[in-house]
Amino acid sequence: MAQRSADGFEAHILPHLDDAYTLARHLLGDEHDAQDAVQDAALRAFRHFAGFRGDNARAWFLSIVRNCCLTMRQGRAVDRVTVPFGDQHLAVVRDTDQADSAAIAQSERALVTQALGEMPVEFREVLVLREVQGLSYAEISDIVGVPAGTVMSRLSRARRRLAAKLGMTDKEAS
Amino acid sequence: MQCADCRVLLDAYLDGELAERERVSVREHLAGCADCSRELAALERASALAQEHLVHYEAPDVLKARIASAIAGERSEGGGNSSDTPPERAPRRRAWLLAAAGLLIALASAGLTYAIMRGGNRSQALADAVLASHIRSLQPGHLTDVQSTNEHNVKPWFNGRVNLSPKVPTLDSAGFPLVGGRLDYLDGRVVAAVVYARRQHLINVDTWPEHGPNEGPDSASAQGYHLIHWRSDNVEYWVVSDLESGELSQFVSLYRR
Repeated sequence: MAQRSADGFEAHILPHLDDAYTLARHLLGDEHDAQDAVQDAALRAFRHFAGFRGDNARAWFLSIVRNCCLTMRQGRAVDRVTVPFGDQHLAVVRDTDQADSAAIAQSERALVTQALGEMPVEFREVLVLREVQGLSYAEISDIVGVPAGTVMSRLSRARRRLAAKLGMTDKEAS
Repeated sequence: MQCADCRVLLDAYLDGELAERERVSVREHLAGCADCSRELAALERASALAQEHLVHYEAPDVLKARIASAIAGERSEGGGNSSDTPPERAPRRRAWLLAAAGLLIALASAGLTYAIMRGGNRSQALADAVLASHIRSLQPGHLTDVQSTNEHNVKPWFNGRVNLSPKVPTLDSAGFPLVGGRLDYLDGRVVAAVVYARRQHLINVDTWPEHGPNEGPDSASAQGYHLIHWRSDNVEYWVVSDLESGELSQFVSLYRR
């Protein structure tokens, strides 16, 4: 019986390690902290998998990852935000048009990442879960532990901040 | 519908999360309201930029290996009640097997489809073997036979063990510290594997003598892993890592120098 649930762990949890690591990277910034948080979360998920009764293992695992990240954030004073280098960073660019668009993409990426880093974590997590992981409001609601209406309003404020940062609107709507 | 009522629903409208009746009301309001339409356009653009620029990371090999071994450890501690295993001698061995199984599953979930490469089936099979050997090397205790950050320890270690002396340049200053060396069995022969690191990523360089014209470098990627292959002066080189492909190319150009 224990063995059966352990096999279930391999099949249901391990495929979501990329998603878990992505959430942790965006919540914690630092890659080493993110690895520690995901490892911690995987162990907790393993220990509690036998008691998991739901049908959405990804959301369940991500909620554990989120908790581990928040616990880790409490243990440190400042937010560390890293701007990832995209592929463009090292790519050889041949003509000026490409160079321009690569530079624009690079600066857009830096702005988006910076805007994310400046958001309170409760906005940041819904933005990542929606835009990067493509989860529904109901799934995000399960992971974050707030009603779907709250997910909607946080997501809305996160997007408006992003739009303001990129100069698309005059101000952040409240 | 008033503008204020419309505004609070715009995100859910954009995300397809509204019930049919609300969706219709919002659509009708948008058709007659330029302000709200502009607002929707800004949200759409913000959403598109977030999707384009926020990175969906791949869990690094090192993390997968750490998790597999932590879970194997957990099992060997708590797994005494399984009836098909003699309690005395099995746990440790079983732990390693399960660690291996964990990695294989992680590997299977990565979906091994290569966007490859000249050379057809043989190259494909070889790339598979190189990648499998890379994954194997990430298991606890498998990475290096000689562990050293000094080329003068690593290079002589291969003498008499393989019939070529692999290149072991010092690349510390470029951010690629040497980790060590290892013998591997690949495609029916013993090969020399030299291991470098980049942050938490590991890079395996597999080399062996192979007669033929100079080739490459060619690159291939499986989801999450990148391989770069070349042949020069009758030596075959395969570089494999989960490092981002641009940085891996940078490594290769430094290594070849």
